[in-house]
Amino acid sequence: MKTGRESSFGNRSGKRVEVGIRDAHDEDLKRISDGMGLALNLEEMKRIKRYFVAKKREPTDVELQSIAQAWSEHCCYKSSKKILQEFIFGIEAPQSILVIKEDAGVLEFDKEHAYVVAFESHNHPSAIEPYGGAATGIGGIVRDVVCMGAQPIALIDPLFFGHLDYGYEKLPEEVKHPRFLFEGVVSGISDYGNRIGIPTCAGMVYFDDGYVGNCVVNVGCVGVMKKAHLRRSMAKQDEVLVLVGGKTGRDGIHGVTFASVELTGEEEFRSAVQLGDPITKEPLMHAILEANERGLISGMKDLGGGGLSCAVSEMCHAGGCGADIYLERVKLKEKGLSAWEIWVSESQERFLIAGSRKKVDELLAIFEKWDVDAVIIGQTQTFKKSLIRIFFEGELVFELDTDFLVACPVYERPKEIKIKEKGEVLVEEPKDYNEVLKMLLAAPNIASRECVIRQYDHEVRASTVLKPMQGIIGKETHGDAAVIKPLEESYKGLAITSDVNPSFCKLNPFWGAASAVDEVCRNLTAVGAVPHSFADCLNFGNPEKPDRMGEFYECCRGLGYMASSLGVPFVSGNVSFYNESAVMNESIPPTPTILGIGLCEDVRECITVDIKEAGDFLYVIGETKEELGGSEYYKLRDVEGGFVPRTDPAVLIRSMKALRDAMDLRLIASCHDVSEGGLAVAVCEMLLGGDIGASIDIRGMNPELRSDYKLFSESNSRWVVEVWKEEKRRFEDILKRREVYATKLGETVGEKRVCIYNRNKELVDLALEEVRGAWLSGLE
Amino acid sequence: MKTLKICILRIEGTNCELETSLAFKRLGASAEIVHLKQLIGAVKEQERRNLMDYDVLVIPGGFSSGDYVRAGAILAARIKGTLGEEIADFIDTGKPVLGICNGFQVLVEMGLLPGFVPDEKPGMQQVALTTNDSARFECRPTLIKHECKGKCMFTRGIEKGSILKMPCAHAEGKFFIAERKREEYIQWLEENDQIVFRYVDPEGNYAPYPWNPNGSIYNIAGICNPEGNILGLMPHPERAFYAFLDSEWSRMARGRRKEKGEEKEDIYGGGEKIFESALKSILKKGL
Repeated sequence: MKTGRESSFGNRSGKRVEVGIRDAHDEDLKRISDGMGLALNLEEMKRIKRYFVAKKREPTDVELQSIAQAWSEHCCYKSSKKILQEFIFGIEAPQSILVIKEDAGVLEFDKEHAYVVAFESHNHPSAIEPYGGAATGIGGIVRDVVCMGAQPIALIDPLFFGHLDYGYEKLPEEVKHPRFLFEGVVSGISDYGNRIGIPTCAGMVYFDDGYVGNCVVNVGCVGVMKKAHLRRSMAKQDEVLVLVGGKTGRDGIHGVTFASVELTGEEEFRSAVQLGDPITKEPLMHAILEANERGLISGMKDLGGGGLSCAVSEMCHAGGCGADIYLERVKLKEKGLSAWEIWVSESQERFLIAGSRKKVDELLAIFEKWDVDAVIIGQTQTFKKSLIRIFFEGELVFELDTDFLVACPVYERPKEIKIKEKGEVLVEEPKDYNEVLKMLLAAPNIASRECVIRQYDHEVRASTVLKPMQGIIGKETHGDAAVIKPLEESYKGLAITSDVNPSFCKLNPFWGAASAVDEVCRNLTAVGAVPHSFADCLNFGNPEKPDRMGEFYECCRGLGYMASSLGVPFVSGNVSFYNESAVMNESIPPTPTILGIGLCEDVRECITVDIKEAGDFLYVIGETKEELGGSEYYKLRDVEGGFVPRTDPAVLIRSMKALRDAMDLRLIASCHDVSEGGLAVAVCEMLLGGDIGASIDIRGMNPELRSDYKLFSESNSRWVVEVWKEEKRRFEDILKRREVYATKLGETVGEKRVCIYNRNKELVDLALEEVRGAWLSGLE
Repeated sequence: MKTLKICILRIEGTNCELETSLAFKRLGASAEIVHLKQLIGAVKEQERRNLMDYDVLVIPGGFSSGDYVRAGAILAARIKGTLGEEIADFIDTGKPVLGICNGFQVLVEMGLLPGFVPDEKPGMQQVALTTNDSARFECRPTLIKHECKGKCMFTRGIEKGSILKMPCAHAEGKFFIAERKREEYIQWLEENDQIVFRYVDPEGNYAPYPWNPNGSIYNIAGICNPEGNILGLMPHPERAFYAFLDSEWSRMARGRRKEKGEEKEDIYGGGEKIFESALKSILKKGL
């Protein structure tokens, strides 16, 4: 949005700018909304008009901008709230301390400590300015964790782009090439995440041409704290409000309203992307945590979407009080910002702190020590509940009730549920399995991500026990989950993973979303953790279009079905709508990204993916079915259709228990979940990490299936495990006792080859180095 | 026995101070994280610290001042400008200084490492830690071979030729000497016993990328000054303090248990050796 456009609507007298809406007709109202960049629809504008008619005055520009922030899709979830309430919220679990209500979820870690989870999208900024957009995405999510009073300990980055070889001739002029976006986003994360000293230890990179017009950049952060240090985002009566951190500028103006419309590819939206400064963030984080531990902070909130406008009104509303704010006290990056710009700017690295008057000097001294700006910008008051007044150089420029501000409209948008799944299709069985397997290993969604992962410092803080790459040094393979040991005095660990398969969600959003939860649980179980909490980042298209709304509804239903059956709560997350590019006239695939956190009792017992020894037994746990809809195999064969994998939470729960029993008895040498590329790819990935070969026979698997379906189906609730050679019997006893379906596949062998048979028929015979070559070549 | 006092220097952007201080504390030393401002009197009276009260100075890893301009350059300039004399005194009395990753970059920028060549002005930068050959940030496990015959105070307790495993994480870690000086400087380093660690592959050979993660000349991972009381290295020993932090821990755990039974004690990793050896030799020297 160009700044200064509002002047044509305003009547200026000194600092106060009024906008005439009481007499405005519908067309004028729409014009005002567009012209001021409010992104409000006519109904919403009319509601504002009625409010001010009743007040017998015109709104100021600051008031209108503030309402637009508070009522944006991004801030108030007006299209999604009802559905979230129906499916996602309210899954009760004893470990929940404070969930859903604030920017991050808080859960019990041990008797004295809690861990904090936040997960968010930063899609639109990253599509316009990938480097800055991704970097500030991290900045924002870290603030969400810090403002609960927690020390951030891990970052998670699931990323989604169009294919890197997307033809330039197909690319509209306004759209940036996937390779440019991919490289920009990765270096943005690397430069910002590495600088603030938090390990980026998990994530994913997914390619689908549905993301060409609008890439998806999700960022998660996990923190840890003493339970006693938990702070709420609320201000109580008679406290001072202190703005700390970076200076306020014109960057990030209208970030939230910009996120609440479709992307048009206009460069003028660049001003809506904030600029990050990791070197302000780092001391800011230390200063806040120090002040909090010393009991100088009674409540705090980070300044994210909507800037001061949202932080002040939400903190006051939560605490049931009003406030007086003096905008001229806010430290600025440049001169000449108008009141509304200061009020809604989303400049980075800022927090609003509420504290007692008596302790404020001590509070300010801490920030001075860290060379971080801190100014008292106002105070909460007692005389009239919920009234916020803003003064700018002596003039009253804003006077609104928080009740009106936060009472945003809630919609039940029309939805249309379409299942694009078609029945099973005929594909000829391949003649050359070696070739198919190599091509799968080099497929963009399967190939090695080492070149990305190594650019992130995943070991800073010296607490990353299981790394994102696992195995023999120089031969590492992808891990299923990272494990962090958050406390010096305890071996207890947090397992962290994130996943979703958008190709499944495209064909069947309900089962696609359910599969995402299934996969996250598989990943956590594979390292020996117990799934403990989920966060969701729900990325969808324009909710005003019924088919997009249908996808959203179905995905939420799928997530809720799984999580409530498993008894694992959703604790935080966000909804990102309008992920479509107007120029390309298409929406992203439905992308409900799930962040899963699991607990491990002793990090030293965690299991990795890499095969450990020759002579051990390989099993596949779980049933393999003809579920190849959205599979990497069908993509490779250029086939559309097929059913996406289903899942049965009861079976999943039984299998997870059996695996953990076996791990507790130390029967398992390595374990890997079966996902993209199916069984054959899973086995290869394990062998690569251990630099050991295997000879397997798939005859024992579902006898109704053809060999290629057995090898490449992506059925849920499956793992490949390596069982120590001496432990075969004890392992099989557990499977029997837990009534878990599993098939013995074969053995690991000293010779570095991958051999796969179906009875006497040899399907695959490849040297391990050939397998590695294919897998490493994919993302080059 | 005397408790050694370790000063872990921090400014904005330093980010490995906590784990580095823990590494010393776990071995019984007293480690304090001290902001540069506390050493130069730019804080309130009770917060001020005097460098000479400490036995060891450590400049930990991170991105001091954002590493804008060049890694380590801003902190080096700030130290030189505000704390130059105190540091010089500290070093002259033989007290040890350790620079890890960004700290190594700072020591090189300050001209303290390699710290030889009498024909040039002292305090001039002689070598550089420059952009990795891959032109990327590299976070990966490395193997470094201990090459020092006894000069370096920090590694006297580590057998020469032993290989330690610890991760590196940097974008500017290529040890670089200008071509016209290269041969001469390498010879100096060799003759003075200043080469402490070199990158190797699992067989112990001086191998190229990825074993040498940044393309360092002569595979150099860490060097000391001619007096042996200043050590700088790019990999992070504090991240390899315990064996369970080793990227191959799960490959060793079962074998260890079979061999030694259930171990109740903490098992140390490759990085711990440096801290332990440093503390021992400093105590022995009787500071």
